[in-house]
Amino acid sequence: MNQIIDISTGKLLLAFLFIIAAQASSLFYHLGLHRDITIGALRTFAQLFLMGYVLTYILGSDNFLLTVSIFAVMVISAMSIIKGRVKEKQIAYILPTFLTMLVTYFATAVFVSGMIVGTTPWWEPRYFIPTGGMVIGNSMSAIAIALERLFGELRRQREVVEMKLALGADYREASSDVFRNAVTAGMIPSINAMMGVGLVFIPGMMSGQILSGTDPLIAIRYQIVVMFMLVGSTAVTSLIVMLIIRRRCFGVGEELLLSPR
Amino acid sequence: MNHPLLEIRNLSFTYEGASSPVFERLDLAVGSGEFILIKGTSGTGKSTLLRLVCRLNKPQCGTILFRGRDITLIPPAELRSSISYVAQVPQLVDAPVEENLLLPFAFRVNRKKALPRHEDLRAMLDEFYLDGVTLGQSALKLSAGQKQRLAIMRSILQEPEMMLLDEPTSALDAESAAMVFSITERLNTSRKMTIMTVTHSDYRPETIKGVMYRLENRSLKLMPE
Repeated sequence: MNQIIDISTGKLLLAFLFIIAAQASSLFYHLGLHRDITIGALRTFAQLFLMGYVLTYILGSDNFLLTVSIFAVMVISAMSIIKGRVKEKQIAYILPTFLTMLVTYFATAVFVSGMIVGTTPWWEPRYFIPTGGMVIGNSMSAIAIALERLFGELRRQREVVEMKLALGADYREASSDVFRNAVTAGMIPSINAMMGVGLVFIPGMMSGQILSGTDPLIAIRYQIVVMFMLVGSTAVTSLIVMLIIRRRCFGVGEELLLSPR
Repeated sequence: MNHPLLEIRNLSFTYEGASSPVFERLDLAVGSGEFILIKGTSGTGKSTLLRLVCRLNKPQCGTILFRGRDITLIPPAELRSSISYVAQVPQLVDAPVEENLLLPFAFRVNRKKALPRHEDLRAMLDEFYLDGVTLGQSALKLSAGQKQRLAIMRSILQEPEMMLLDEPTSALDAESAAMVFSITERLNTSRKMTIMTVTHSDYRPETIKGVMYRLENRSLKLMPE
């Protein structure tokens, strides 16, 4: 009963029927998505296989440095995805964002695997790497959305922000609406996920545990920890990033540095 | 030693990416209670000069002193509450007139100042030729001239020592422009407020003695009275 059923290579290839169905829809309705679907499918296949082999190696090695290095590579990859999405040239946001992500994600992963789950050692790769991966993946999108919104809104509302500065507002007061909207926009997907979990969808991690034979009552405990961890780490990380980057959008004289595009 | 209220020394400014400066080595002294009018065609740096005085832009070189103190040493919010800048296109928030007028009092630097009373605001609206406007109506529905007068009134409520008016009449018809100039002249005489205004129009102060300059060829020249 608890034995997981292996998926043979032949059956795995059968799953490509879903990709063919997506391709057919795109072609039939001229959606122009066939190239992205093909690349996405191939990347999913290649990246997950690569990750599978890497994880097999790491889980077997019990090597602290290797575990932490993999974690750092995951954060660097997330930063490069954010950089690709947030096209901002005027404000140097990359280094502070990267450092904040590295520190807060690391602290979250240590707290969850070392303290809540209670693994020994705290960096036990079987827990530390997937925990880090979930935190990074979730928070990365929130940061990208929030940064895009912050830069865009500060440019669009430049006159309003400067009007408030001219009336004696400090940079925080002058940009408070923009700041709030940006952080909220980044947080909404995580909050929505909490609302829908268990009703609208069964999260990937919980599904995975159930499929691998774990008691659903244990799986839900993990999932609750994961959901809270995602919301908390996303909120804290994006808030710290936004506080640092917002300051960088203003000069020493609290003048708005972002010029109109 | 008696300092001018505002003193500009050797000021130069070049926009990022521009090959030549908008102006360079500019000097100006403004005494307390003076009415300074700076004229010049578009693109000569009139607005930039005002923005530099209230630190909305940063000069490449030069010094600006307010009451003898380098403005870079004055906390920005404090400086801007003492030198109030009104932009060419008045910015109002999507709220009633009264909320717009009281907006500066929401900021930390102005919180200790006494909040103007409802009746005082009403009386001031009349003084600013806004007698048909109610405190409860939406500010965004006002005409361009009314918005400009409201923006000036909002700045006055903070009781700044000096006002910087950036092309206050550029988007207004002749009648509205005359009202704005009349208000600024009155602020100078009755409230003894130091005013520095820039314009490309032919306006000359009628009821007061102003000091007029022309900003051209990157420098400031005193105009004959």
